[in-house]
Amino acid sequence: MTDVALPHMPLSRVIRAYLSDAKYESLRLLRTPAFSVPILAMPILFYSFFGIMLAGRAGGSSVHFANNLFVGWTVYGVMGPGLFGFGILVAVERNMGLMTFKRALPMPTGSYLAAKLMMAFIFAVVVMALLTIVGVTIGHVDLPPATLLRVAAIMSLGVIPACAVGLFIGAWAPASSAAAIANIVYLGMAFLSGLFFPLSGVMEKIRPIWPTYHLSQLARASAGMKSEGSPLVHLAILAALTAILVLLAARKLARSG
Amino acid sequence: MTNDGKRGVLARLSGAKKRYGDTVALDGLDFEVRQGELLAVLGPNGAGKTTAIGLLLGLQQLDAGEVELFGRSPHDLAARRNVGVMMQEVALPDALQVRDLIGQASAYYPDPLSLEETLAQAGVEKLARRPYIKLSGGQKRQAQFALAICGRPRLIFLDEPTTGLDVTARETMWATLRRLVAGGASIVLTTHYIEEAEALADRVVVMAKGRRVAEGTVRDIRDLVVRKRIDCATELDVATIGGWPGVIAAVREGARISITATDAEGAVRRLLAADPVLTDLEVRRAGLSEAFTELTQEAAE
Repeated sequence: MTDVALPHMPLSRVIRAYLSDAKYESLRLLRTPAFSVPILAMPILFYSFFGIMLAGRAGGSSVHFANNLFVGWTVYGVMGPGLFGFGILVAVERNMGLMTFKRALPMPTGSYLAAKLMMAFIFAVVVMALLTIVGVTIGHVDLPPATLLRVAAIMSLGVIPACAVGLFIGAWAPASSAAAIANIVYLGMAFLSGLFFPLSGVMEKIRPIWPTYHLSQLARASAGMKSEGSPLVHLAILAALTAILVLLAARKLARSG
Repeated sequence: MTNDGKRGVLARLSGAKKRYGDTVALDGLDFEVRQGELLAVLGPNGAGKTTAIGLLLGLQQLDAGEVELFGRSPHDLAARRNVGVMMQEVALPDALQVRDLIGQASAYYPDPLSLEETLAQAGVEKLARRPYIKLSGGQKRQAQFALAICGRPRLIFLDEPTTGLDVTARETMWATLRRLVAGGASIVLTTHYIEEAEALADRVVVMAKGRRVAEGTVRDIRDLVVRKRIDCATELDVATIGGWPGVIAAVREGARISITATDAEGAVRRLLAADPVLTDLEVRRAGLSEAFTELTQEAAE
């Protein structure tokens, strides 16, 4: 074997590779309306329609009620980019050979997922900004600017467990059904954790099995509203769930690509 | 350069075995890529060409044998930073423009070509701002070729790069490949087309059923496949004919026999001498691709 001096890749270029992957991943999804429109527009539309108009008509226009609704919908809003950005894309890219191609290239380890995480985070920030604008202007949300910022910051990070759930779906689901599964999981978790309307009986008792429940309690705590349990416990549960799902997904991806 | 005088080896498979379920993809393949050569890997579908490349790129795990890329494991990023690749089946992100795809891929390399250089070398300047989804099949292959060369790789794997290209695009790609090899790069190119190997390759490896069945310069392979096909109606025994000098194979199909020979004239003289009532004699030059098919079939038997 020839002793070939292998080229050195300075750290600055490795970082550049990560940033460039994140940039192009976000760019391609912004340019894909089938992805970006539902992710960005649906939470705003749903929030405006169910959260503001219908709730307003039902007579629940008190500030307390409005704040509650707003916080519930932020959870829904930031779940989308994570669930769909990872769930559908990973499954599809696994199928279309893109992932294999990326593995053949000298792409830095982790850049594929880091780029998607960054993309989901950027989308989550935009969703949070839009929801906040709608909430404050027409949604009767009355929280101090500092509190709104805190909610936005915490919830933008809330995209991380959503990414983990999405990655798990993307790694295991066939490309053809990943979108359907992601949708069912998305809506299912939102309803079953009581984001949209209060639950009762067994459904209420088992809410803590859904990551959205913990995320919504964190959102409430960050908004200075009454929340159940300790934020640290919610955080720990979400972190543990994220770790487990990522590990399971990584195992599958390492095996099949 | 290694001590034995042979040009340095950049990538190597030795005794490589790989199966997918019941299908044997590679059956003890020995294969090496040397510095500065254009190596054509010829073989029919299912010969194991793509699997061999996949192993050299670390995309699959060997069942047995060894694989080395720049003296390291192909899983080593540092080894792959010397490598460019164009795969047979890949769907790139539809919404990205060709220049975005190049920008993204070249960021993985320590010292890539500039965007302009890449576009020019791959002959895709006009496609730079076109989204990938708007490209024709051939243009997609050209864009993928641009990704393979953008990192200034020392070793480039091209899996059937010219499939689906029109004549002009193919000529452009060939010219670029010749220039890259002249500049010191090594290229491994799989192809169905023996003409492509003839036009470009310094060395040819012929594969069939997961094994290497022939290896040599283009001329060696051409000599191997310069064969003639003799058909005639005769009662002579095919086993006897098969033993004649210059005869590679003889098979009976009903009243007729079919002979593959390197020395057609000698075989015909013997045939006519041995069977005075022989009829319906026909001698043709086996086409390159036909001879090539026979070569790979013989290996399979």
